[in-house]
Amino acid sequence: METTVFAVLVGSTLATALGCMGRDTRETIFFLSLQAATIGLVELLHCLLELVTGLHIEALIDFFITFAEWFSCAVASPLIIYWGMVKTENSAEQPAIGARNTAISLAAMALFYLILGTFSPPLPRKFESVYFSALMFSMSVFLMSTRKDALKILAGLNMAENALYPLIAESPLSLIPFILVLMAFVNVVGVFIVTEAYREYGTVVVTKWKWAR
Amino acid sequence: MEVGAVMYSLLPLLSLIVPFFAGVLCLFTYPFRFLEPFSKRIEKVSLLFGTGLTLVTVLSSVQQVFAGEPLETPILSLRVDLTNAAAVLGVSSIFFITSLYNVKAERGGRLKASLYNFFVMLLLFCMLGLTLSYDLFGIFLFVELTIGASIVLVVHAPGKSPPEAAFKYLIITSISALFVLLGVLMIYISTGTSNLFDIMGRPDSLAGNPRLTFLAAACFVIGFGADIGLVPFHGWVPDVFPASTPAVNSFSCAEPIALVFALYKMLHLLHAILPSPAIVTLAAGTGIVSMVFGALLAYPQRDFMRMIAYCSIDEFGHMVFALSLFTPQSFTAGMMYLVNGALMKSGVLQGLGSVLIARGTSDMDSLGGLVGGMKKTSVGYAICVLSLVGVPPLSGFHAKWLLYNATYEYLLHRAGISASIAALALLACISMVSFVFLVRSFHRIFLGRSLGDQRNVAEVHWTMWLPTAATAAIAVAVGLQPNLLLGLVRPP
Repeated sequence: METTVFAVLVGSTLATALGCMGRDTRETIFFLSLQAATIGLVELLHCLLELVTGLHIEALIDFFITFAEWFSCAVASPLIIYWGMVKTENSAEQPAIGARNTAISLAAMALFYLILGTFSPPLPRKFESVYFSALMFSMSVFLMSTRKDALKILAGLNMAENALYPLIAESPLSLIPFILVLMAFVNVVGVFIVTEAYREYGTVVVTKWKWAR
Repeated sequence: MEVGAVMYSLLPLLSLIVPFFAGVLCLFTYPFRFLEPFSKRIEKVSLLFGTGLTLVTVLSSVQQVFAGEPLETPILSLRVDLTNAAAVLGVSSIFFITSLYNVKAERGGRLKASLYNFFVMLLLFCMLGLTLSYDLFGIFLFVELTIGASIVLVVHAPGKSPPEAAFKYLIITSISALFVLLGVLMIYISTGTSNLFDIMGRPDSLAGNPRLTFLAAACFVIGFGADIGLVPFHGWVPDVFPASTPAVNSFSCAEPIALVFALYKMLHLLHAILPSPAIVTLAAGTGIVSMVFGALLAYPQRDFMRMIAYCSIDEFGHMVFALSLFTPQSFTAGMMYLVNGALMKSGVLQGLGSVLIARGTSDMDSLGGLVGGMKKTSVGYAICVLSLVGVPPLSGFHAKWLLYNATYEYLLHRAGISASIAALALLACISMVSFVFLVRSFHRIFLGRSLGDQRNVAEVHWTMWLPTAATAAIAVAVGLQPNLLLGLVRPP
C-alpha cells in the first residue's frame, strides 16, 4: 500500500474512533465530516492531478464526479444530520458502556484487525484497504450500538457507509451520482423520522421512545 | 441462468417507466397549495389508475414471454422471461388489488396524499426493478430505494409507534444494504463486470477464489436477509406490521417477492459458478431457522398484527429455503410459494385491516363473533388463511406439495432417506403449527361469542372486502387449475 493512502486511512480511522468518543451530537457530526473528508482525499487529489496533467474532458468528468462524491459524504450528509439536530436538540451523553470501556473496545478492535491483516494471506491490490474498511465499519456499528441519541446513531450509519468508500471508488463512475442521491435520500428519511419521533416524545433518546410494546 | 436467444424490446423498460411517471405525476400537485382540493379528490383514483396501467403493461410483456419470446432491454440489463414473469405479475397484481383496498382503507396520515401516492408508485417501480434487473448495481440501487420508500410509508401512519418502528427498520435495513453493496463490490472488482449473464460467461475469477465467492454469498444472505426479515435479522418485522396502516401492510406484501427473488438471482449466480454445499447450507439454514422461529413465536400472540408479522417470518423462511436448494423442482416450488404466499398474505392482511378499521383494535381477546356483521370479509379471510396453510384444493396446497417433493428429492440423493423423512417431518410440524394459529385467529376474531357492541358491527365498504374476495378467488382458481401460475414458471 502507498504511504499516502496508508496515512489517509489511518487518519480516517482515527476520526471514526474519535466519533465513537464524541460527547454531544455536534461533535459526532464534526468527526463524521472529518472522517469522510479524509477518506475521500486520496481519490480526489488523484483525480485533480490527472486533470492538471492530462487536461482532457474525461479527466474533468472524473474530477467532478469524485468531487461530488467527496462533497456529498463530507459536507452534504453531515449537514442533513446537523439540520436534524437544529430541529431537535444537541444532546450530550457518554457511550452506554462508559468512556474508558469504549476506548478499550476500540483499541481491541484495532488490535484484532492489525493481527488479521498481518497474518492473513496477502490480498489482491484492489482489496488491500479492506482491513481498514472493516475496522472503520466495526467502529461505526459499535458507535451505533453504544449510543441512545437517534442522531448519533444516524451519524454512525453514515460513518459505516463512508467506511466502504475505498471500495465504492472502484465502482463505475456513471453509478456514483445514483449512490449519492440514495445516501442523501436515506439521511433525509432518517432525519424526518427523528423529527417526527421528537414531536411525539419530546426527546431524541431512543430508549425513551417506547420500543415494541 | 439462461443465456439463450432473447428479443430486444422496450417493454421491460416501459414496465418501470409507467409506475415511475405515474408517481411523478401524482407529485405534480404537491407544491401548489391551491391544487390540494383537486389532488384530494383524485388521489385514490390516480393511484388505482397508475397501478392498473402498470399491470396492463406487465401483462403485455408476460403475454409475449408466455408465447416463447423472452424480452430484454440490454442497455439497462432488464429482462422478462419465464424465470421472473410470475414474480413481476405477482408484484403488479398485489399493487393493483391493494390500490382498490386503499380507496377506503387509507384515511390520511403524516404524508400529503400526493406524496403518499408518489411513494407507493416508487415502491412498485423499485420492486419491478428488482425482479427485472440483471445488473449487480441495478439490484443494489433498487434494494436501497425499496427500503427507503417502504420506511417512508411506515412512518406515514398516524400515532406514536410508527416513528420508532420506522427508525428501527431504517437502521437495520440500512446496515444490511451496506452488506449487499459489499457483496456487489466484491464481485464487480473481481470480475470487472456487473451484468449477471456476463459474470456467468466468465466465471474464472470467482471460481478461482472460493473464499471470496463464499464471503460475497454470506454478504448477500445477511444483507437481503435483513431486508426480507429473516431470523436473526428480523428485529424490525414485529414492530413495523402493527405500526403501519392496513393499506401499507398490504402493499408491502409484494416486497418479499422482489427481495427473495433478488437474493435468489445473486446466490444462484454464485452457486452456479462455485457449486459449494456451504452456500446451500447457509441460505437454506437461515430459511429453516426463520420457519421454526416464526411459527413458534406467532403461536402465542394476542395481537393479530404481531401474529401475522411472525407468520410472515415463517413464510419468508419457506420461500428462501425452497429457492436455495437450487434444483429445477425447488425453483418451481419456491416461485409458487413466493407468489402465492405474498398474494394470500395480502388477502389476510386486508381482512385483518378491515377488522382493525371496523373495530379499532387488533387485540384478538377483545374480538369475537364478527362473522355475523362481516360475512364477506370473514369468508375471504378464511379462504386466504386456508390457502396460506396449504389446505386442498386451494393454491397453497400445491405450493406446499411442490416444496415437500423438492425437499424430499434433494435430500434423498444427497443425504439418504432418513434425512429426507426427517426434513419432511419438520416441514409438516411447522405447517401444523401455522395451521393451528391461523385457524385459531379466524375463530377468535370471527367466530365465538359477540362481545358487547360487536353485535352491531357492519360490513366494510365494498372496496375493502372485494380485494380480499378477489384474492380468495385467485386461491380457488389456482387451486383447481395450478397451471395458471405454474405455466408462468420455468427453472433457469
